[in-house]
Formats: sequence, C-alpha cells, structure tokens
Amino acid sequence: MTGAQANPLAELAKLSAFLRRDVLTRLSYRTAILADWFSLFSQALVFYYVSKVVNPARIPSSGGQRTTYIAYVTVGIAVSGLLAIGLARLVNVIRQEQFMGTLESLMVTPTTASVILLGSVVYDLIYVPFRTIIFLVIVSIGFDVSFVTSGYIPALVILAAFIPFVWGIGSIASACVLTFRRGTGVLGFATFVLTFTSGAYFPVSLFPGWVGEIAKINPIAVTITGMREQLIGGAGWDDALTVLAKLIPMSGITLLLGLLAFRLAMRRERRLGTLGLY
Amino acid sequence: MLSGVDLRVGAGRISALLGPNGAGKTTFLRIVTGLLLPESGSVHVAGIDVAADPMAARRHIGVVPSGDRTFYMRISGIENLAFFGRLYGLSRREALARAERRLTDVGLSDAGGQRAGLYSHGMQKRLSMARALLMNPELLVVDEATDGLDPEGARRIQDLVRGIADTGTAVIWTTQRLDEIRGFADAVTVLDRGRTTFAGTVEDLMLQSTSRAYFVRLRGAGDAATDAELDRANGALGSQGTLSRAGGDREHLRLDLTEGAVLGEALAAVSGAGLTVLDVAQQRSELEQSFLRLTTPRT
Repeated sequence: MTGAQANPLAELAKLSAFLRRDVLTRLSYRTAILADWFSLFSQALVFYYVSKVVNPARIPSSGGQRTTYIAYVTVGIAVSGLLAIGLARLVNVIRQEQFMGTLESLMVTPTTASVILLGSVVYDLIYVPFRTIIFLVIVSIGFDVSFVTSGYIPALVILAAFIPFVWGIGSIASACVLTFRRGTGVLGFATFVLTFTSGAYFPVSLFPGWVGEIAKINPIAVTITGMREQLIGGAGWDDALTVLAKLIPMSGITLLLGLLAFRLAMRRERRLGTLGLY
Repeated sequence: MLSGVDLRVGAGRISALLGPNGAGKTTFLRIVTGLLLPESGSVHVAGIDVAADPMAARRHIGVVPSGDRTFYMRISGIENLAFFGRLYGLSRREALARAERRLTDVGLSDAGGQRAGLYSHGMQKRLSMARALLMNPELLVVDEATDGLDPEGARRIQDLVRGIADTGTAVIWTTQRLDEIRGFADAVTVLDRGRTTFAGTVEDLMLQSTSRAYFVRLRGAGDAATDAELDRANGALGSQGTLSRAGGDREHLRLDLTEGAVLGEALAAVSGAGLTVLDVAQQRSELEQSFLRLTTPRT
C-alpha cells in the first residue's frame, strides 16, 4: 500500500470513525460487557481468599513496603488482563474482518493499512486501560487494598508506556494470522510464558535464577514491578522515570516491528490476492 | 491467472465482463481496485496507475462487492455508510449528509436507521450500491450484483446502474447471467480461463452464434400443418432456412435459419405459403449460444 501520499493528519482523523463504529457495536452486546466485568471480579474474589492463606512475609516488598498477597496480585491481574485482552482483540480483529467479509470493503477505501489496523483496535486501546484503572480502584475499595494515592499517576504513565508493547506484539500476531490463517495457539503460549515469568501472580524469586534474569528484560515484568513500586510503595517519579527509560525503548521497538510485520503481511496478501480468503 | 486482458471503459458506458466461474472476473476486479498486484501489465483509473498509487486511484472507484455480508451487521445502514464515507476523508457531518442522500437514491431512506443485519439480500445490495456511490466515483465496479436477487430486485439494481452511467460514470459490470446484458451493457468482454475470448458489443456477441434454431407453432388449413403445407412453406423459405417436424408433434415445428437470414422475413415467407404462425420461441438464445461457444472447453 502506498502510504506516502496519504496526509497523516487526515488519516489519523479516520480513527474517530473506527471508534464510533466499535462503540456502537459493543453497546449492542451489553451482556458480553457485563460478563467481562463479572469474570474480572470473580478472579479478584478468588485471589482475595487465596491471599488469606498466603503468608505476607513471603511476598516481596515493593518500594520498600511490605504488602498483602491481594494487593500484590491485583496489580498483576490488572496488567496481565490488559495484555491478554489487548492481544486477543488485536489478533482477532483482522480475522473477524476477514470472516465478516468487511476487510476487503475497508481495503478498497483510500485508507492505509496501518490506520486500518490501528482503527480496528482504537476502541480497545482506550477501553482496556480504562477497564484496568476502574478495576484497580474498585478492588482497592471492595477488598480493602490500600494503594498509595500519589502512586496512581506514575503507575498510569508506566501503564501507558506499556500499551505500545501490547500493540506491537498484537500486530506481529495479527500479521501471522493474516499470513498463516492460524496463530492464536502460538500467541496463547507466548502470552502464558511472558506472563508466567513476569511475577504477575507469584514472586519471580520463587523461580530458578535465570527466570529472574529474563524478567529484567520482560516488558510485562518491568511494568508490573514498576506499577507495584508506585501503588504499593509510593516510590515516586524518580523511580518511575527509571522504569520508563527501560520500558519506552522496548515498547517502541516492538511497535515498529509489529507495524512492519503487518505491512509486509498485507503486501503479501495483495500480491497473492488472498486477502478475502480465510 | 489473467493474460492478455485489455479493457477500456469510457465515461457513461457500461462494460459487461462475462464469464463462467473461475474465468478471472473477480481477479480482474481485484486488480482494478488495487487489492491484487498484477505481475505484469497495468490498470489506469482516471489516469492514475492503480498499482503505483492505489490510494489515489481508490478515490475515483466505487465498489459493489459480490458478497452479501460486507457491512457491520450490528450497526445501522446509515451508520455503516457514514463510517465508510469517513474513510474517504469526509467529515462526519458531510458523511451523514451524503449517506442520507444515497439511501434515498437507492430507496432505503426508511430503513436507514435499521441494523444492517436486518436487511434483506436485496436491501443489502442496494446499501452496497449506496456505499459505492458516496463519493460520486468516476468508475463503478459491480461484481455480480444481481446474484440471488429476484427479477424485480435485479431490474431495480440495473436501473440504478443505468441511471448512474447516464450521469457520466464508467461502469464495469461482471455477471454470469446473459439475459441481463442485452439492452443494458454497451460493451461486452467475455473471459474464459483468464483470457479474453470476445470483446465487442452485445450485437456483435450475438453474431457469434452459428446455429439459429427456433420452435414455431403453425396452423394450416386444418388444425396442424400437413406434409404438403410443410413442403409448400419450405419452398417459400428457399435459401433462408428449413422447416421440419420437431418430434411426433404435428403442431410444433423447428425452423433452422441459415446465416444472414432474417427471422421476420422467414416467418413472412411461411405465412405467405398459407400457414398461420401461432408462436415462435428461440431454441436457445443467440447470446447463450455465443457464450457457450466462447467459453466451453474445447477438446
């Protein structure tokens, strides 16, 4: 696709059309929205009771503060949930468009492939972080988890820096699905490995030492640890900036690779004429 | 795989692309719309090379795809149109205004607020037409639009397209239905296994027919034509053709015209021989015969 002639601002303005389309579509599935929230809170409820049998002394401190397992795991659930839902939607959105027969209708409009991909997930890029924040607030009230109030803003900034990573990984997976027509299994495995070794549910210190070494360069682990230090330990902006200095390049590179992979996959589909096939 | 396909469509002209399944019609349309890159050759729309600049070319092309489910079924018809309008760079206000106008043009103004998923097959085709016309395209590409429609629905779509062509839009109309191109298309290209086997007018296509057989129902002095009356009619026909019995039925006969003979003159000759022509039916349409001759695999 020739994107050189496209006016970037005019292209970005099209995102609001995608957002409106998806808000209207999602509002027509009200039961699914309720089911999503129910599932999220039932998960938190399970971990709340699990936390009753976990010795807080075994939970690593965050920002120098000791905490309970429910506070520890809530941040993990929030970030891994964002990753899982974000990835699933990114991967499935193009597949869905293929199945529904709307992908070719989009592709015959003068819209770049990047904008079609971004537009297809713009709703989720807004909704999923919003869902994460609401989840953190409600759990902190409902399960008596005390997060440091001054830590919310730095934690949100760290979360925002993590989103391009999710988008990048999702774009790579989306490119794989477009090319191979399958790929959700591989994606599920990769998500599991990344999340399991991130310390989302268990302290990384429980794993062999090399897992801890990998966690240092695992953007999910970096995000979760950074957010815990803010929300539990109130580590402050200096600490947040250190996390961001590590996270932003990782996210940026992943996003660029993702968009490149998606573009190449689209180009291949155009060459083979198989875009509408699934 | 397409090879040696050359098609030019002028403003206000309807060019039919005819061919059996697998002939390459949809592949051709994908190349025209920039969804598929040709290995060689080029397509120009409004002077723009589609492969080199598909984004610019697409601003001049409206597409009516062959599939039914090319809309977002959970949102209304007008929201669908407004969404696609915005992908062409229109503001929401302008996109809505155009969507309303086009819905009226295709007779869907009352159904604009309904979810697209509730539309019938014919309504979805018309919605598709409305979407294709949002930007007043210079080229309208219509892929088997009447497939699955009842005769009234098909006629309605054809009337719409004819009206659009009359405003100066060039139309490429693909179909497998021969009956719909007579009196509708200005030019025909027949594709078979990726190659052009015919390019010309509908009338030229009909001339490709080699056999011109008709069933005629005649009455002589009595109820059915006698052998003597048949001989007299054949004498009157001369080199124009032959009249013969079609099976055991004495009332129905077969009239085979020779090349260049005119049906009306032949029937006049039969009448002149004292027989009354009650009915005439083409054994197989000239278009159908031409189509089969141009596309049937040769051994």
